[in-house]
Amino acid sequence: MRVWQAGGHLTDQRAASVDDWSWRQTRRRLGVLAGLARPYPGRTALAVVTLVAYTLVALLPPYLAKIAVDDGIAARDLEVLTAVVIAFVASGLAAFGLSALQTYFTGWVGERGLADLRIRLFRHLQRLSLGFYERNRTGAVVSRITNDVEALDQLVTDGFSSLVQNGLVLAGTAVVLFLLDWRLALATLLVLPVMAGATAWFRVRSNRAYRRVRERLGLVTATLAEDISGMRVVQSFTREPTAQRSFRGVNEAYRGANYETVVLNGLYFPAVDVLSSVATAIVLGFGGYLVVDGSLTVGTLLAFTLYLSNFFDPVQQLSQLYNTFLSATAALDRILTVLDEEPEIVDAPDAHELPPVQGHVRFEHVDFGYGDLPDVLHGFDLDIPPGTTVALVGHTGAGKSTIAKLLTRFYDPRAGRITIDGHDLREVTQESLRRQLGIVPQEGFLFAGTIADNIAFGRPEATREEIVAAATAVGADEFVDGLPDRYGTQLGERGFRLSLGQRQLVAFARALLAGPRILILDEATSSVDIGTERRIEHGLERLLAGRTAFVIAHRLSTIRRADLIVVLDHGRIVEQGTHDELMSAGGPYTRLYGDWAADVA
Amino acid sequence: MAGEEDPTNRRRAGRGTFARLLTFLSPYRASLAVSSVLAIASQVAGIFVPVLTGVVIDELGDDRETRVLVAGIAAIVALGLVRGVLMLGRRIISGRQALAVEYDLRDNLYAHFLRLSFGFYDRNQTGQLMSRATIDLQSVRFFLGYGLIFFAQHVVTIVVVTAVLVVYSWELALVALGITPAIIAIAYRYSRVSHPVLRQVQEKLGDVSTVAEESIVGVHVVKAFAQEEPREERFAHATDEVFERTLAANRQRALYVPLLTFLPLVAQAAVLLVAGRMVISGSLSLGDFFAFNLLLAMLVMPLRMIGMWVGQAQRAIAAGDRIFEILDEPEEVADPPAAQPLPPGPGHVRFEGVDFGYEPGQLVLEGVDLDIPAGRTVALIGRTGSGKTTLAALVPRFYDVTAGRVLVDGTDVRDVLRRTLRHEIGVISQDPFLFSASVRDNIAFGLPDAGHETVEAAARAAQAHEFVLDLPHGYDTVIGERGITLSGGQRQRIAIARALLIDPRILVLDDATASVDATTEARIRAGLREVMRGRTTIIIAHRLSTIALADEIVVLEHGRIVARGTRAELLEESPLFREIHDHGLLQQVVPG
Repeated sequence: MRVWQAGGHLTDQRAASVDDWSWRQTRRRLGVLAGLARPYPGRTALAVVTLVAYTLVALLPPYLAKIAVDDGIAARDLEVLTAVVIAFVASGLAAFGLSALQTYFTGWVGERGLADLRIRLFRHLQRLSLGFYERNRTGAVVSRITNDVEALDQLVTDGFSSLVQNGLVLAGTAVVLFLLDWRLALATLLVLPVMAGATAWFRVRSNRAYRRVRERLGLVTATLAEDISGMRVVQSFTREPTAQRSFRGVNEAYRGANYETVVLNGLYFPAVDVLSSVATAIVLGFGGYLVVDGSLTVGTLLAFTLYLSNFFDPVQQLSQLYNTFLSATAALDRILTVLDEEPEIVDAPDAHELPPVQGHVRFEHVDFGYGDLPDVLHGFDLDIPPGTTVALVGHTGAGKSTIAKLLTRFYDPRAGRITIDGHDLREVTQESLRRQLGIVPQEGFLFAGTIADNIAFGRPEATREEIVAAATAVGADEFVDGLPDRYGTQLGERGFRLSLGQRQLVAFARALLAGPRILILDEATSSVDIGTERRIEHGLERLLAGRTAFVIAHRLSTIRRADLIVVLDHGRIVEQGTHDELMSAGGPYTRLYGDWAADVA
Repeated sequence: MAGEEDPTNRRRAGRGTFARLLTFLSPYRASLAVSSVLAIASQVAGIFVPVLTGVVIDELGDDRETRVLVAGIAAIVALGLVRGVLMLGRRIISGRQALAVEYDLRDNLYAHFLRLSFGFYDRNQTGQLMSRATIDLQSVRFFLGYGLIFFAQHVVTIVVVTAVLVVYSWELALVALGITPAIIAIAYRYSRVSHPVLRQVQEKLGDVSTVAEESIVGVHVVKAFAQEEPREERFAHATDEVFERTLAANRQRALYVPLLTFLPLVAQAAVLLVAGRMVISGSLSLGDFFAFNLLLAMLVMPLRMIGMWVGQAQRAIAAGDRIFEILDEPEEVADPPAAQPLPPGPGHVRFEGVDFGYEPGQLVLEGVDLDIPAGRTVALIGRTGSGKTTLAALVPRFYDVTAGRVLVDGTDVRDVLRRTLRHEIGVISQDPFLFSASVRDNIAFGLPDAGHETVEAAARAAQAHEFVLDLPHGYDTVIGERGITLSGGQRQRIAIARALLIDPRILVLDDATASVDATTEARIRAGLREVMRGRTTIIIAHRLSTIALADEIVVLEHGRIVARGTRAELLEESPLFREIHDHGLLQQVVPG
């Protein structure tokens, strides 16, 4: 089952290539897959038992037909005939029941196992540190949970039972045929190598062809998605003829790739058909000779013709599995890679809860850099008394956002330490630390759900009164009251879309309700109109009152009002003081301010 | 689509859609005919294999003739070969035609997308349109391309096999085929009941993706608020719902699929019993008994599939309806029959008594009169929703006025060829859309044949040249979805270069510098001043610095012009302008 997701899978052309076929990796894959069924041993056992039983029962009907012909019809014994027919129906009923149970149990275990895997993967991802997310594209990470688990789905629910069942049918039929008559069986099986050869050739060729089809379909979809989103630009620049031409190009390329599969299928399936006629002819010719010879019964001949399809179907189905198997293995490997990632930031074994703090923040001789890159901060010292609003200013790359990430302990410093009220961040639990921090990130990222859910994000147990109070305090109540379902209004993809300014206000309310001691305001939204602008300023004032706050890349109005402005350059503090002090000092801040204010000239 | 329709009406509408879908096949009548003949011929050839098997078996009796025996077996192989060749031909011809139909459908749809106007794209979300162009198109093309042929082939098989069975023994045929209606009905029912459940599975999977996606994109928020556990619960809940729905689908599968395997077995058993008795009593030969059994086995697949195909057809019709909804969407802003190219001119823009509303009865602009002499720069300012962007969008005729008219160099924009009009207007919007292509292709978007000097000149004018050179492959660097990500300011400068490259008479800057920082804005502004020379420019801006580029400022409120004049004049006269002006500095966002 595939879901179409805008953009998501376009960037993630799933290659069905597996690099590592070592026994260690194979064992690990099998271990993970078997582990999925482990919590449900009863159902798994039932699935296996019913699968084997069903396959065996399904082998019966042609054999029963043989008995009917030889011992019933040929022997002119109506009783045997009737008995066999009853057995025939009974075996059919048994197959029906067993197959139903098998489908149910296999499906149950497979789907449950995958659901468990998905949850485990999600939990793991939530535990991983921000460094992981900065190294990996979000689209690719999401694809692990969605597309890759679905690729496994095919293998686990259909592939596994199909493999066992077809394998058993193939083996079982061969055994039965040899038991019935080994000479005829041998003659019939002559076709099998040809069939297997043709199938192998077809598989290889069509794998390649279908990969090309997928790639080109991806291109068609990507072109469509992009051109529809950019239609206004296409039309503004009167690009319609060119756009049409280039779309025809990808459409044509897709058709071409598809045509190749048409030809391949057109060759393979009729060839299988011809082979089955040849097999029938062998059975009839050689079998007929044996019947005339008196060494074979007519019933056996009938059984052979009926069993023939048992041979052709499983070989074809098994060959189709090959593709599923490859892409599932590749998907599993990608999932394992994620599960192998260790969180970089973990609570120390003896970590204690951070007690309620005043908000006294200290950076002591902190060195920090990302990954293997050189230091962004070097010997960084900063002491912020409780209740201070600090504005961090400086050019891009000066290290402002890094300071915020260290304070929230998304990263650990390379050297030195960071303390809040004297507690080293590395000695307290992350949960207790972050509960006392409030972050208002860029654009006020909101989640699907109601406005109330979003405001109560940091404190899901908050009452409606508290939610409304928080919204009112930051001035979000006014626009919320104008929404169709007020606080119950659904946001997100299938819900209402808020403007940038409104999202910012909801993010303020969310931070306020979480009741943090220390606030971090990262990158405010630009371009909101005047009415909203006023409300945001007012909301900010409420939010900052009585808390330690770090303001990064914010409005000039907020910066000017800050208790302390810290000017950073290349990871060092070059100047600090209030707006007035720094302006009169005529240093770097004055120059920066000059740039900003030049805007109004 | 209304859900409460009269079923007869709906059936009639369905038939209408069906007939209309068939028109996509009409260019391929010849190949359709050939492939149908081949399909029928190969099926008939297939039916002769069991018949010949019967003949061979009968020849195994006491009065055998070896010649007939050998001929029968040779005929089976020969028939197999003939059938193979017929099938090969059928597959290639019908495959070609199926692909051609798919190509045409997609091409038609895309061509129509290109014609639909801005209003349509305002009303419809990209995701929605995409799902029609992909998922709906998929089910239509599958049905038109393969479904109909398979359907026909199955019907032929059923009819011919039934006829042959009746020839063998009509009583026996009756026994054997008694159960077939049940098989068709059950297969049809399965296709009906499984569809909604499978859709629910898809929907629930969509929820899982949503929770996963937002938790991953917003992972910093989740972590900042220490909300990992509630998110996990939520995700587990969404996953459990998928499990629950999948299980429902699985239960259906566990019932119907084995049932559809079991029912034909009942027919086989009945034949075994009755035909066996007939052989014993001598009214049926052993060979005929064989042939009958094998023929019956040939029916199983087509019977099962035919029910499925009926369900498929219904789905294809529903999908067809959704596609036709788009194809039937009228082109709102079309060229009139007598449209002329826009005559040359200096770029004089005039709005005369313009009313405009996106929805009937809700005017966004009311009685706007505005004359912008050629070469002048006018800034439109006002609160969100005051109609600034709408007013500017009327010049390139992205929408048509409800009343009044818009003139460019004295000609009503509705009387000229859209293409020539838009070619003279460069539009730069707040959040410019760039394509996943090289920087060069993006800049040369309006003039794909532009030479490198032209592209570079536009980039220099837009202050983009320097940073483009710093990109890994310079102008050939691929950007966007499949390439590198540019910052907001960089994207904006590419968009400006793109607009400049077509050397338009008129420039529209819709809040073009809102998302760039002050230093970049200052540089862009310097570039803009250069390129605005000699062009009529309409600027929509919040920033005073950008507004300062204008010769004249027009203040809009509730869709009307409330004041106009120079900055100094407006500071005196317009309280709204004063408010905007005073806020200008403090609203300034300091770069990150």
